[in-house]
Amino acid sequence: MKGILPDLRGLIPLLALLVLLPPAVKAAPLSVQVVGAGENTVNLLQADPTGGSGRAAALRKAVNDNMSLIPFIRIVNPAGIPGGAGIASAAGEGVDFKRFALAQVHLLISAGWQGSSQVELRCFSVADGRFMFGNRYAVGPAEKDILDVADTFCADFLEAVIGRGDFFRSVMAFVKSDGPMKKDIWSMKPNGRGLTRLTNMKGEALSPTWSPDGRRVLFTHIDKRSHGLGVCDTGSRTVQRVRFPGNTVIGPAYMPDGRVAVGLTDGRNPSIFLLGQSLQKERRLDESSAIDVSPSVDTSGSLMAFTSSRLGSPQVFLKDLRSGAVRRISREGSYNTDPSISPDGSLVAYARQEGGGHRIYVHDLITDQERQVSFGPGSDEKPAFAPDSYFIAFMSTRGGVRQLYVTTRNGGDAKRLPTGPGDASFPAWGPATRR
Amino acid sequence: MNRLTGLKLLCLTLALTLGLAAGCAKKEVGQGGDDDELAMTESERQAAASISNGVIYFEYDRFDLAAQSKETLSRKAPTLKQFPQLRVVIEGHCDERGTEEYNLALGERRARAAYEYLLNLGVPASQMETVSFGKLHPAVLGSGEAVWAKNRRDEFKVFKPR
Repeated sequence: MKGILPDLRGLIPLLALLVLLPPAVKAAPLSVQVVGAGENTVNLLQADPTGGSGRAAALRKAVNDNMSLIPFIRIVNPAGIPGGAGIASAAGEGVDFKRFALAQVHLLISAGWQGSSQVELRCFSVADGRFMFGNRYAVGPAEKDILDVADTFCADFLEAVIGRGDFFRSVMAFVKSDGPMKKDIWSMKPNGRGLTRLTNMKGEALSPTWSPDGRRVLFTHIDKRSHGLGVCDTGSRTVQRVRFPGNTVIGPAYMPDGRVAVGLTDGRNPSIFLLGQSLQKERRLDESSAIDVSPSVDTSGSLMAFTSSRLGSPQVFLKDLRSGAVRRISREGSYNTDPSISPDGSLVAYARQEGGGHRIYVHDLITDQERQVSFGPGSDEKPAFAPDSYFIAFMSTRGGVRQLYVTTRNGGDAKRLPTGPGDASFPAWGPATRR
Repeated sequence: MNRLTGLKLLCLTLALTLGLAAGCAKKEVGQGGDDDELAMTESERQAAASISNGVIYFEYDRFDLAAQSKETLSRKAPTLKQFPQLRVVIEGHCDERGTEEYNLALGERRARAAYEYLLNLGVPASQMETVSFGKLHPAVLGSGEAVWAKNRRDEFKVFKPR
């Protein structure tokens, strides 16, 4: 399944799907169109579950909680459906879709329970009543098993709708404060599950980055007199702190082969250096007489976006690591920083200083066009592309303290990610878990 | 430094930090504490206060030293040379407007500017360290140019190493 709803910004977004169902849910491959979604928004509703399991409400809530994190989805209140959200059959037979269409529902999800250990979840296009996709899920006995099914279904849903399901299969690292001069690295799934403290160190941790195999998180660590490169083994939860001559370590970024690009000082200016897999310094990745920091490398390992002040003010540049060619990416504004290149190498997101804060922009490397994808208020910084090259996490002060939000490459209503009490900053996506 | 020597140094650093930093979820890393500092005598304390006194300030997104900053640094140099047993950490700071990583680089340049000026005044490199905190540690909380101007700065912290 691939690229079905690539752009929801239009007034009549097209959703064409080819869906293969497991044998348990009998359906032939279908081509489905959904029309009528509002700009940037798909209105989604879960019908009342059928089958009468006592666990249905918990699954319904978990799916709604997950879906409410997706920037282009709006959860419709069932109370607004004429005659209620009940349906004749979870399989779709005899369902009066017009009732849902009247309430502006675009996608309807049904849940058909068979006992308490199996549920069939289906998605229908309300406009024409057509079945889009569905799966049968085994539900284990624990409460956690309900959440696992919700995550799996929502990943399947995104896979069907936008061709990318990694959002609910990913893990994120980020920074949380533990006081005025103490920041540590935490991890969680983007929906807040599995919130885990990875480090507990004196000083301040910033700028985490995941190794391609997900086994290590590197980060900048600053204590009262020095910078270090923090290396956290996510399995054993042990940390090393590596110092480098020059006492500066800024914004490490893993490369696909396990080497690391990082801002170090060797002489007068912080520059981007390449470290080997054992973190030994190999070479400078670009030569300039200005500040060069914040590398971000695509999964091919051939394109590196970075911030440089070589033209006076900080701007975003792109280096082709094969040819050595460097070109400027950000064209507008006098302060563009925090680049994140999409894993597929097609886009670069960055933060532009505007008025009282920063806003996130996305530059299309194919068309050379730029699009604003965050709109404040407050300051939006440190965008980070998800492994699917579609979702973008960033940190924002729009709610007062810094929190993590997610939007998409097309913009849309940014949703706050649940990171627990306190502030949260520096989102970094880890590799997605494939089924 | 040749590559082999660099590799040995890296291995040594890794070994040292590994010993300090086991158990990131449960155990604090002990680096950067006060264990590596000696108590100062009264005259050293007065010298340290003299060196620490006098923050220097910078323009927005700049790291060049103003004339007043050079005068301030020129007053610190003789004391530092008179007390070679003391070491100064030059901290570079930024205001809140930029982003974290670029500000860490800018703060490094600000600290480095003072370091090089003091070096030219004859202060030994072995007596100086630089560190950037970017916008992590503002001197004054709030917004507006009056506040920002006080946060774009170099501070000087003195200690007596073991």
